[in-house]
Amino acid sequence: MMHDSGPVHDQELRQLAQRLGAAAADRLDVERTAQAVLARLRAGDAATRSPIQWMQPAWMRAAAVVVVMLGAGLLLHYHIHHPTTAAAGIDSTVTGTTAGELADFSPGQLQDVLAALNEPVETTPLVHAGDAGVEDLSESQLQSLLRSMEDY
Amino acid sequence: MPPAEPAVRPADDAQLIVAWQSGDERAATELVRRHARAVARFLAGAGAPEADLDDLVQETFIRAFRAVASFRSQCQFRTWLLTIGGNALKDLGRRLARRRVVPLDDRLASKDGDPHERTVAGETEERLQRGLTRLPRMQREVFLLRAQQGLEYGEIAAALDTTPGAARVHYHHAVKRLKEWLK
Repeated sequence: MMHDSGPVHDQELRQLAQRLGAAAADRLDVERTAQAVLARLRAGDAATRSPIQWMQPAWMRAAAVVVVMLGAGLLLHYHIHHPTTAAAGIDSTVTGTTAGELADFSPGQLQDVLAALNEPVETTPLVHAGDAGVEDLSESQLQSLLRSMEDY
Repeated sequence: MPPAEPAVRPADDAQLIVAWQSGDERAATELVRRHARAVARFLAGAGAPEADLDDLVQETFIRAFRAVASFRSQCQFRTWLLTIGGNALKDLGRRLARRRVVPLDDRLASKDGDPHERTVAGETEERLQRGLTRLPRMQREVFLLRAQQGLEYGEIAAALDTTPGAARVHYHHAVKRLKEWLK
């Protein structure tokens, strides 16, 4: 038995450590603990099987990918089979539309707008290549051009 | 004379774990029966209040059963349980610290139970208990796994994800400090 004063030896310390918690452990009702553990595990399993918790993030991601792919497929199908309708729809839709109103568009309409913006713009050239020489301008036209350059 | 029937050997922990994974609740019950007292002794030694001891033991087994797929037999099942118990005790300490009802060290080192028993246990045991709560967690757990549970350094190292050499150093630091406090 260890004394309460004086140096403590390794063996005594080990014996003391082995007694630590022994009384409390003896008082533990092991059978009751085992039943409680099983009950809590069952309760946890039941909660895990509830529909909301069943939808794990991985499943949610997979579902989102499927939805996006289906949407993209439908859009592609629509454009392949109705190219003119789509373009006409854009022209009439974009004209007179402000940016704020874009928020009211359906996904299909927005897709049409984006497609129209990607198409090359057909514009009538304002100045022909042959007209670009400065030497052909009159004096007043040259003065006007210089003033505009100074302003710029 | 009829041939003697082969003695039925009790299933080892690994067999019980496999049985539990396939849904056998009796296997889980048997694992609790085998290891609950050792877990309780470890937790009480590490400073768990006796009022919370049953809950902590339950929590340890629940965490273990739910994560049993991650148990790769790197150490004994009991040793793995003890480290899970250490984590559960740490979480309890955090909760108590957040509530700030009682200073953490006082609460963790408190001794419930019969006052007479406490007297018999001796002042030295109580000082050791209090000293353990003042050690860093790694030193405390290594000391208990070695001195109380009698585990080898290799086993301790595998359970605590360290090296046997480091475990040995932690143990010696713990012993040195505990001896100082117990003088």
